[in-house]
Amino acid sequence: MTTIPLTYPLTLGAILFGLGLYGALTQRNAIRILMCVELMLNAVNINLVAFAATLREAAAAGQIFALFVMTVAAAEVALALAIILILARRESHIDIERVHLLRW
Amino acid sequence: MIQLAWLIPVLPLAAAFFIALFGHRTTGKGDRVGIGAMSIAFLLSVGVLLDTMGGARWAQHLTWAIHGDLVLNLGFQVDPLAAVMLVVVTVVSLMVHIFSVGYMHGDVRYKRYYAVLSLFTASMLGLVISDNLLFLFVFWELMGLCSYLLIGHYFEERANVHAANKAFLTTRVGDVGMFVGIMLLFAAGGTFRFDELAARIADGSFALPVLAVAAILLFIGPVGKSAQFPLHVWLPDAMAGPTPASALIHAATMVAAGVYLVARGYALFAPVPQALEVVAWVGAFTALFAATIALVMEDIKKVLAYSTISQLGFMVAALGVGAYTAAVFHLMTHAFFKALLFLASGSVIHAVHTQNMHQMGGLFKKLPVTGWVWLIGAGALIGIPPLSGFWSKEEILLDAWHHHPAIFWTLVAAAALTAFYTTRATYLTFFGTPRDKHAYDHAHEGGRVMTYPLMILGVLAAVSGFVASPLAGFVYFGEPHHASFDPFVFGVATAVWVLGVGLALAIYKYNLVSRRAIIQVFYPIWVVLKRRYYIDDVYQYVFVRGMIGLALVSAWFDRHVIDLIVNAVGWIGRKVSEYVDEFDRGVVDGIVNGIGGAFVVGSRVLRQVQTGFVQSYMLVLFLGLLAGLAILVIGG
Amino acid sequence: MDATRIAFIVLAAVAVVSAFRVVTAPKIMHAALWLGFTFMLVAGVFVTLGAEFLAAAQVLVYVGAVTTIILFGIMLSQAAEVRSRDPLQRERLEGAAFWRRGVLPVLATVAFVAIMVTVYMRVPWPAPPGGVIDTVRLIGSALFTTYVIPFELAAVLLLIALVGAIVLAVRDDNKEEQGS
Repeated sequence: MTTIPLTYPLTLGAILFGLGLYGALTQRNAIRILMCVELMLNAVNINLVAFAATLREAAAAGQIFALFVMTVAAAEVALALAIILILARRESHIDIERVHLLRW
Repeated sequence: MIQLAWLIPVLPLAAAFFIALFGHRTTGKGDRVGIGAMSIAFLLSVGVLLDTMGGARWAQHLTWAIHGDLVLNLGFQVDPLAAVMLVVVTVVSLMVHIFSVGYMHGDVRYKRYYAVLSLFTASMLGLVISDNLLFLFVFWELMGLCSYLLIGHYFEERANVHAANKAFLTTRVGDVGMFVGIMLLFAAGGTFRFDELAARIADGSFALPVLAVAAILLFIGPVGKSAQFPLHVWLPDAMAGPTPASALIHAATMVAAGVYLVARGYALFAPVPQALEVVAWVGAFTALFAATIALVMEDIKKVLAYSTISQLGFMVAALGVGAYTAAVFHLMTHAFFKALLFLASGSVIHAVHTQNMHQMGGLFKKLPVTGWVWLIGAGALIGIPPLSGFWSKEEILLDAWHHHPAIFWTLVAAAALTAFYTTRATYLTFFGTPRDKHAYDHAHEGGRVMTYPLMILGVLAAVSGFVASPLAGFVYFGEPHHASFDPFVFGVATAVWVLGVGLALAIYKYNLVSRRAIIQVFYPIWVVLKRRYYIDDVYQYVFVRGMIGLALVSAWFDRHVIDLIVNAVGWIGRKVSEYVDEFDRGVVDGIVNGIGGAFVVGSRVLRQVQTGFVQSYMLVLFLGLLAGLAILVIGG
Repeated sequence: MDATRIAFIVLAAVAVVSAFRVVTAPKIMHAALWLGFTFMLVAGVFVTLGAEFLAAAQVLVYVGAVTTIILFGIMLSQAAEVRSRDPLQRERLEGAAFWRRGVLPVLATVAFVAIMVTVYMRVPWPAPPGGVIDTVRLIGSALFTTYVIPFELAAVLLLIALVGAIVLAVRDDNKEEQGS
């Protein structure tokens, strides 16, 4: 287990999540948005692992949850990049400010 | 097998719907479906009969409707009476189904004919196994509908339409009485079920006058359906339908239903001697009365029609004098030999294309099979031993002699006339010299599909009399009843049929007495008989014309009084609606359009939100999450 | 202040800086490399939190697979921009975009971090238990007993994602030639 107080990793998670969020909200490059999303997922994983390390009854559940998040993240990256590739091929750019498929 | 009894009516019913909906897509336009369903129903009926003879009984019901304390059940029951009827009905119906393949060949409404035939049989079978009056009544009416459709099968001719209407309306008169009787029984006894009603009667819950009135009202139904005087007028006209359908309607199903109802509800009649007296006299009078009309008819089917009325009178009279077993027995033998005679007449009509006996003659050489089976059927009708009709008629006469001599002599007279007119019809049709050369030359048998059913029914008509003694120990009311042989009754019966046959032969074969001479001597009576006792004319004047007159008066009233009121109401309505219209245009439409416009404008504004920027969506999503978090933090 | 805690603080500080560079690096390629570096640091954080197995998985999945595949994605999607600056990185925000992509995201992010940290400070967390647990054995047995069905489903999910990605990304030459 650990000797680090729970507040430390939680704060780290919050900060990393915030950075990822800011990037996802402001960046126009689709790949960079994808990276930011990955960053947010990692921040969540830090939280899960921190809880698993501190709360004895959650020791297995927290880490396994983190593991599943990783699995999903891997799948998500693969699919997201595939979609970005299609976008790049069709529009010859990956600027999501110029993609209006959801517009009325 | 007896547990499957409910399938017996359901199979023809399903067949009827199948034929009606998909008949045109199957080979033979559905006749095979109908015949197949009937065959299975017949086999089931035989199985049920065998089980019943082994002592089995079966009753089952589903709850159909609950109204307060009142529970209506859709139920069926199988007892000896029902089992015998099931077999009789399915046999005759099967034969009719098969015979019709030949007779109705090429008919424009072939499919419809078969659908109705199956539905008709299903109704009769349902009626037979019903365990309560209400469902019996439902099937009873269904049968009325089917008879209407069958009688009016050739509806291109106006006369046939009139005949169908007449049959429907006349039997309806009886049905009204019957329905009132059913409701009276229900009001007094609180149930529709036969077994419960019988139990109530046995323990004396019914006041005797109520029971007497109910029984007589109930009897009006059979008077209509079984064509008893004075509601017999529809049956002769019903010959307008296809001949095989006539065989079904007038031998085994519809007319038998009336007799069956009296037998089924015999517990209602038995305790009331007055009701039985009425039943007996109605039956006996009808037997004699119809037989006299049959003497002068020229149409072969009309002769059979009046003969049917007369024979039904025998059955009803038998029930009236307490000869329950004999009545059911005669119902069975009559079903066979009358179906045989009708189908044989169908075969003759098919061969010569006329129904007038004076245009036939000598057909025995041309139609040997039909001729032979006709002889068997006619012999059974006359009551020549050992054919079936002899046994059942003998039993009826025996019981009548023991219980009610006046009825006995009436029936004997009817039997004598029966012998006469049957011999007359037989001779005119099959013997003597051909009177219509053209028709005679072209006559031929109708093929195996028509002759085989005739032969089967011929065998049944010949031998079904021998079941007399087992039947007596099987179908009975109260105690089994074995009529012992009475030489006097046998002697009288034999004497009258020999007399009738001899007289007929003397007139028509040997010309010992000229027919013209007889007509001249008895001219007034002959005219009365020819005009069928003017009953049809009286009905025509009293009821039909009366109804038309009443309708004219009503029309005048309608036009001058009711219309005035209606127009006034209409004028007020129009004025009111004019005001309503203005309100509608100004206020209601304004609101409706306003709401619509609000949506148009609102959506024009709101759709600006749908920018298409994924990040904006993400931002809004996240701001919402933040708001939620803030509420939690501040609130918590 | 023991060694683990010092190590954590150092790793965390570097990770924050590195994550900041992921968002702000002018070249997309550099951003991807910073991302990989962040993943490595997070793996280190996992180790200090006593999750050695997850740390290994983090390195394998994120650093090894995700970062690599992202690099491939960058190269396939915008080969010309790999070495140059990301042209989208520097721009002037005007009009609605100033709020949409300038002010509001900053406010939202700051508010979020502030709320979360406030909450973390306020809650009386249990003290860190210390000691050593064989977490690998724990995860392994839990994964194949309690969580066996989600585990198998995860395998199916990966397979579906694999198939889906191939179907989406495969180049439809016929269509390309027709100019659609």
